[in-house]
Amino acid sequence: MNKVPGNTQSLLSALDLHRTYRMGGQDLHVLRGVDLAVARGEWLAVLGASGSGKSTLLHLLGGLDRPNHGSITYDGADVFAYRDGQLDRYRNTQIGFVFQFYHLLPEFTALENVVMASQISSSVLGWPSRRKAARTRAAELLATLGLGDRLQHRPHKLSGGERQRVAIARALVNSPAILLADEPTGNLDADTGKQILDVFAKLHEQGQTIVMVTHDDRIAAAADRRLRLEKGRLADRAA
Amino acid sequence: MYKLLIILRYLRRKLTPMFAVLAVTLCTAMVIIVISIMGGFLENMRHAAQTLEGDVIIQGDMTGFPHYEALIAQLEKMPDVQAAAATISSYGLLNLDDGLHTVEIMGIDPEALDKVVGIRQTLFWTPQRITESMDRHAPGPEASDLAKRNYQLQREFLESLDLTEMAMKLESPPEWFPPREQGNVGVKPLPAIVPGIHVTGSNVRDEKGGYDFRNNRTISSSATLTVVPVTRSGGLLEPAARKFVVVNEFKSGLYAIDANRVYVPMSLLQEMLRMDAHADVDPQTGEATGKTNPGRATAIVVKGVPGSNVNMLRESVYQQVRSFVSVHPDTLIYRVETWEQKHSTFLGAVLKEKFLVTILFAFISIVAVVMIAVIFYMIVLEKTRDIGILRAIGASWMGIMGIFLGYGLAVGIVGAGLGFALAATIVKNINAIQDVLTRVFGLTIWNPEIYYFDQIPSQMDPTEVSVILIVAVVASVLGAIIPAIQAALKDPVEALRYE
Repeated sequence: MNKVPGNTQSLLSALDLHRTYRMGGQDLHVLRGVDLAVARGEWLAVLGASGSGKSTLLHLLGGLDRPNHGSITYDGADVFAYRDGQLDRYRNTQIGFVFQFYHLLPEFTALENVVMASQISSSVLGWPSRRKAARTRAAELLATLGLGDRLQHRPHKLSGGERQRVAIARALVNSPAILLADEPTGNLDADTGKQILDVFAKLHEQGQTIVMVTHDDRIAAAADRRLRLEKGRLADRAA
Repeated sequence: MYKLLIILRYLRRKLTPMFAVLAVTLCTAMVIIVISIMGGFLENMRHAAQTLEGDVIIQGDMTGFPHYEALIAQLEKMPDVQAAAATISSYGLLNLDDGLHTVEIMGIDPEALDKVVGIRQTLFWTPQRITESMDRHAPGPEASDLAKRNYQLQREFLESLDLTEMAMKLESPPEWFPPREQGNVGVKPLPAIVPGIHVTGSNVRDEKGGYDFRNNRTISSSATLTVVPVTRSGGLLEPAARKFVVVNEFKSGLYAIDANRVYVPMSLLQEMLRMDAHADVDPQTGEATGKTNPGRATAIVVKGVPGSNVNMLRESVYQQVRSFVSVHPDTLIYRVETWEQKHSTFLGAVLKEKFLVTILFAFISIVAVVMIAVIFYMIVLEKTRDIGILRAIGASWMGIMGIFLGYGLAVGIVGAGLGFALAATIVKNINAIQDVLTRVFGLTIWNPEIYYFDQIPSQMDPTEVSVILIVAVVASVLGAIIPAIQAALKDPVEALRYE
């Protein structure tokens, strides 16, 4: 297992993760025994070439996919021992995903996309009492990210950087313990990518745990710690 | 909660679900329209049959049965009988203004028959209809004074006629009638006849479904009726012909009746058919035997007291007739039946047709279910990435299934609602729609000669309509089930990568 720097305790850890895909009649062994520990408040970057299994690792950590072998422990509990409902709740409340291609719902405005994440965990009866607070929180988050005047815009009316900031706001709306970012600047120009990294840095300063996967060393440089994913295993130190 | 929001948004923003809604709308409307027309047809048939026949019919053969007055008197004493009246049915030739017609002749006493069946309501030329007709043809301000004066005189005269009352007093029309006949002053007045409104070809329905009195050439003209009396053994006697004056026309709504039947005074028809009371003659010697043959009728129609059960009424009438016949063995009555029994083959056929058509359309609705399934399959494909996104931010697979099932429900409710509105509009205006089609395209969908009624009947039954609407909604949800399960089982990672 990789060492966790300092004396912070491990929030999320993976042990001997294996993930195999079947493609074109052949088994593709993407992850071959990944061990990982993420400390609370840490910003970790996982570097790897495209196709190295970075996204797969992130999906496993976020409970969106299941490993063929190995386990993931979050806050002392085995994530894949959760029942379906508990796993859904884990994704909804403890994890915030940020994707390379933003993945916003095209029919909904920026504000609605952000509110959607808090709406999912609400019952029909519970929502009216939570609605106002949820909308205020979403609007505040968007305003913090510089989108105060874009609340009612639908994704196709927003630039790439704006869309990614909406996606970050959506990831943060339920105050998750961990932000999982998959090439968050991969689809943006250098300047806009820099702005997004600044957002991450600010969040990190406020104590947000971040796991970011990227193929770009310069982006990874912003993180506290860098790991390299090679041949399905994690190497301790990025080049 | 998010499910409802997503359903409503998907419904509003996409064209694809509109096709599903359209499929449900059309299927629902189609089934409601067909059922309403068949139901209306059946109901009109029942109503017309009951209006024309009464509740129970005591039927003799063409030569009739005697002692009918005594039988009616006995029947009217029964607690469940409200009224009874005798009629005579025969066939003959009618020489009317536009030529010779074969007709079914009914000899009636209008006042007595009106207590059993609504004969007065079927008389068409009421003072109100004549006034309306005159209003439509009032001369404009540019007309000459002479034309205006003629119109006024004609109007005053026509409005002074009470053709309904004249028809109700069939045996004694006023002496000055008919005014069109020349030289009849001082001559014995003609007896009256009331043909069905379609017996003559001159009554053509206008665009609004009415008839115009100004074009009517039948009222007040004379008509000659020829009948051939028959003996009980089937022999023919000397034909009898009489001249009548047309005092009114009737419209029962049943085309076959309105195009064939004429009403004449019963006593007169008895006379013409040799069914009146007359001295008995020895056929060998040709001399009077001193006995009298009583008058005869071919049927007695009976009306039960309000709320009485027709079948029970038939049973008690039947018992009464049996005891009557045991005292008067020459009263040859061969059938006592309810109006439903009399028309059972026909009513039964229509019922069966309605059932068959419903089954056929139910099968067509299965096509709608398949269409919805296909459309939803496409929607699920189109929304694959959304499914991945929603799973990533914490939606459960049950939640995803709920979205698409709810979507099916919403499509069903909107489609069924629109279908109902469409059907109600069409059913309500079906005759107007037909008139427009006839005028614009020369297309006659409803030919009264084939379909019995001169208007397309329709009646929306609340129970039937409710069942159809519920089935439409359930069918939509059924159509959405497989695509919904498919959506729920999608691998979220695969869904996110979907291009």
